This record gives sequence, structure tokens and C-alpha cells, in this order.
Amino acid sequence: MKMDRPTSSKQRPDLPRRYLVLLSLASLCTSCDQWDLPVEIPFVATWNGDPISCNSVAPALTDLRFYVSGPQLLDSEGRWHDVRFATEMSWQNDAVALIDLENGEGACVNGTPDVFSDMVGVARAGDYRGLRFTVGVPFSLNHANPLTAGPPLDDSDMHWHWRSGYKFLRAGIRSANDGFWIHVGSTGCEGTVGHVTGCRSPNRIQIELPEFSPGESTVAIDLATLIAGSDLDDEVPGDCSSGPAESSCVAPFGALGINHSTGKQEGTQSVFSVQ
Amino acid sequence: MKKLLFVVGTLALISVTAWLITRELPYEWDLPPDVPAPAVPADNPMNAAKVELGRWLFYDQRLSGNETMSCAGCHIQALAFTDGKPRSIGSTGEIHPRSSMSLVNVAYASRLTWANPLLDRLEDQALTPLLGDNPVEMGLGGSEDRFAELLRSEEHYSRLVTQAFPSDEDPHSLLNGVRAIAAFVRTITSYDSAYDRYMAGDASAMSSAAERGMALFFSERLECFHCHGGFNFTDSTTHANTTVDRVGYHNTGLFNINGNGAYPSDNTGLYDMTGERRDMGRFKAPSLRNIAVTAPYMHDGSVASLGEAIDNYARGGRLLVEGPNAGDGRLSPFKSEFVGGFELSAEERADLVEFLRSLTDDALLTDKRFADPFLN
Repeated sequence: MKMDRPTSSKQRPDLPRRYLVLLSLASLCTSCDQWDLPVEIPFVATWNGDPISCNSVAPALTDLRFYVSGPQLLDSEGRWHDVRFATEMSWQNDAVALIDLENGEGACVNGTPDVFSDMVGVARAGDYRGLRFTVGVPFSLNHANPLTAGPPLDDSDMHWHWRSGYKFLRAGIRSANDGFWIHVGSTGCEGTVGHVTGCRSPNRIQIELPEFSPGESTVAIDLATLIAGSDLDDEVPGDCSSGPAESSCVAPFGALGINHSTGKQEGTQSVFSVQ
Repeated sequence: MKKLLFVVGTLALISVTAWLITRELPYEWDLPPDVPAPAVPADNPMNAAKVELGRWLFYDQRLSGNETMSCAGCHIQALAFTDGKPRSIGSTGEIHPRSSMSLVNVAYASRLTWANPLLDRLEDQALTPLLGDNPVEMGLGGSEDRFAELLRSEEHYSRLVTQAFPSDEDPHSLLNGVRAIAAFVRTITSYDSAYDRYMAGDASAMSSAAERGMALFFSERLECFHCHGGFNFTDSTTHANTTVDRVGYHNTGLFNINGNGAYPSDNTGLYDMTGERRDMGRFKAPSLRNIAVTAPYMHDGSVASLGEAIDNYARGGRLLVEGPNAGDGRLSPFKSEFVGGFELSAEERADLVEFLRSLTDDALLTDKRFADPFLN
């Protein structure tokens, strides 16, 4: 769908200019307010491009859950437009969606049977190609009390009580006796629980996928890319829980575009891609 | 008219009875006169039913994912609410990087756990052992709905939680459960050691060896009291009447891996929370009350006895000659200025240990108010 355009002022010479401006704005806003384009963004877990699940045989997924916030679509003129989350489903509220690609079976021993593979929302009518979003919970919600939060922020698997805040992403792989898991969330937070004033390492992951085509594309999360710098065959199941002393975080953080020592987005992520 | 009076009178009687049942009485702390009351969060006032509920929950193994472990699994009364292990072991067998801390007088701790500046309320802290999965402690995460279900399904719990939270429409919740556990843990106070009786005027309560040890403890030569000072023998103390937010974290020269001050990567202390290099190896000074019954020592249980702990401080830091963590803690660039080392004779060392033993409150270790209600 093409967006309606305000009519040109040259066709209405009898109206004072400022009325025309108001009229144009009114007309613009009428079209703006039509949040009638359904948006469904499917996510899938892959290993070097092939599907991987909890039931896969070496390597298998052990976990893949993450919060998506701030989704936007790119129009043909290079402008970004918000996508509003649908809020009638349990895995979304108006600020975040919980994408859960594990089903609690097979290698996902600490998982849940529920699978939430689609981010669902609406956008203003438009012709879009390109998607961007943040993997993370906005600061204003990240440090609120999880025991009084509504879904999907009431999932204790996704909360770090001792760091105060959510695990933005939890992912894991197992291959025979080896494995690797990663929990990404804000660290170095200051203040006290309930009164956190800021975090030294926000560790929010910015994803930008210019090739994404709504209705056609799927977002693939490639676990092989995520753990490319981690040794899966050392017979030591490694891990990374975002701590500053964890050298095992450096490589997977790099794959996610985050500088492990600053917690800021400083590179281009390679884990999320369009499929 | 008589009938009306009767009705009004009955209604008044019912109202007064209801008020008597539901009003929240101020909680009576059983403390010595010179000890301040602990600070209590405004949203979790103390009451007797809440404390009793908390005691049952503290000892209830059904609060763990596999129903094998209660809070008391790592906080055993006879060991001043520690577990006697170097590092605690969770309900699924996972070994915790840290040693279980004593809960005695934890109501006065300005910050909780070994090195977490974010945690200043027991209500928040309790969620980590209950729900955390890195490492798994009680392992209730993902099935925490069972907590509210337990409060609802068992008549005994339902009655207590309703009394404990009289203004809640539905008090059966995980939130109220941890509030109750926090309220119970706040009551675990200890002020009846030989040292306390000595300070209260009973000169015979402490041996002369312990008296000499006390003089050493409070001397500038040994500097113990700088970090283990105040009525609770820790510099991270708060109470109902303070306005100062005081918390101390100290690197005691326990490790100096590769000579750059590093601690083992799974146990870097405050550094793990802040990411600031200067915070490497900084841990909270624990209270020394009941320290004689809480071996082994330090955040990782790597020091077996009080004598060994004193020797490390006398040396000005621990020397690990071999192994992956080898290094001379005395030379750590991050070490506290109070761990400068000191000379100590064998007799003085024994005296200091004797003083530390005088901080044990034997009555606390068997006090029925804190005991496992499932055993009675």
C-alpha cells in the first residue's frame, strides 16, 4: 500500500497558506493514524543455516529465548516506522515481545513447552522493506519488580534477580559432552534493587536487517555464528553470563556486535539474518 | 428501641472483634536495651503470623524444584545458619562458587551476600536462591507457581498467610511468601555470646585469654576492627535509626593470580557486579558473630580454620605456591590498606582465636524460635 499524500497547494489558490498547511497536516495525520497493516515477524533457530531444535542430534539447541523491543520497518524512502506490538497474546505487551524458540523437549532440559516464534503487531499502512529492533528490555522496565510485572516480563527464567534486570537473551547449544550457553543482560548496574539508576554495560543488541521483506522473510538466529569463537570440543561445557571477568563472553558478544568491555554496540552483529 | 440497641450493640461487638483480629500490632523485637531494632522495609511490616509463616517456609523442602531442599539446606541453625561446606551445593547437585553466609543478625546487613551492592533487602535477595539457575540453588525457577499453590492448598499456610497479610485480597503469592521468609530471617538475632555478657558487666563471662585476644583484635597493630567493627563486627551495618548507608568491600589478598591481582574468574567479587578493575577481589566483611562455628572461611571456603585465617592476615595476604591460582596475595595491587600484615606470637594467636570463640551465642544455635517446625 502507498501512503496518501497531501494535495498540492497550487490546486487551492483561494485558501490562505496557513490553512493549507493545517489541512495538509490533518490529511497526513488521518493516514498516519491508520494502524491497519498487520505485521508478523517469524523467527527461526539455525545452525550454519540449517534448522536446529531441542530435538536435533549433536549439536542440539538447549535454549533460545529473547526479548524484542522497539521494532521498526523501513519504507522505500529510507524512513523508519514503528511497529506496535499486539497485546492480546501472552508473550507480548506494548513494549516487548518474548520470542521463545525452545519447546522444553530433548536437550532443552530447563525449557518450557510453550513456543513463541512470531512477533505480532501492526504498522501504519506503507510499503516496507527492512526491519530493525533491539534484543533487550527497555531500561524503564528492566529494573522493575518482576514479581508484580505482567506477561511476558513475569517469566522467572528470563530474570536475573541478583543482577536486577532481565536476561535479554538466553541461548545454548549441546554437542555430546560439550556445550556452551550464554545469558546476555545489563551488568554493572548502580543503585539498589528497585532503585537502579543506570548500568555501566547495557548489553542491548541492535539488529538491523535491510533485506527483510514483511510477509515473506523470516529472521534466522544462527547459533553456529553465535558460538563460532567458542570451543565446543574441549570437553568443558563453557558459558557466558555477561560478567566482566568472563573471557568466554568476548567472542559471542562480538558476534552480537557488542564490545564486551563496554557493553555498547560497537560492531555489526552477524547472528541474526534474513532467511 | 431495645431491639435497635441490641442490633447496634451486636454490630459494635462484631466490629471491635474484627478489628482486634485484623489490626497489625507493632512487632516486639526481643533485643537487649542498647541494641537498635533492625530496619524493616515499609512494604513488609513485621507481625507474628508473618514470622511464623516464614519459619515454616524457610524449612519447607517443597520450595525447591525437586522438593529436596529448603532454605535451611544451606543455612543450618546448629552452624549459625551456614552449612559447614567450603562451597554450597544446590538441590540438583550444582556447586555454588561461594560459601553459604551466616543469617545471624543479617537484618542489620546494609548489603546482602558476599559482594552484591544492588541487594539491600532480604525480600529481593531470597529470589536468587529460590529461582536462580546460574547456579541452580533451590531451582524453583520456571515452576514458581507452585509456591502460591502451596500457600493456597495447605490449610495451615492459607490461615497464616491470611493473618500475615490481612489487607491483601488474595495473599497467596510468591511475593508474600518471600516477604514472610524475609520477616522470619530478620528475627534471627544474636546478642547473648560470652562477649555480650562480658560487655554487659559480667567480667567472668570471658577468659583472660579471650580478654587479651580482644585487646589484640581492637589494636591498631592488628587492625581487625577496621572492617569487622561495630556491634555486629562488620562495617556493612545498618539499623532502624541510622541515616548512613555504610557498606565496605575489601580485597584481603587471598589471590594474586599471574601477579596482576586477579581472582579466579568465577569469583571476582565486586568486580563481577561493577566491571571496575579496582573492585577485583573485593568482598563484604562478614559479621564475626558465631564465627567459630561457621568454618570453613572466606567467600570460597578456601580457608579451613580461624588460625589459618589469622595467619593469612598476619602475612599480609595469602601465598599460594602452586596450582592454577598460584600467586602471592601480599603483593596484590588491589589489596586493602588494612591488610598490611603483623607479627604475632603463638600465645597471641591462641588468645585471638579465644576471643573469636567468645563471639559464639550457644543459645542461638538451639533457640526453638528459629528451629525447624517440621521436627516438632
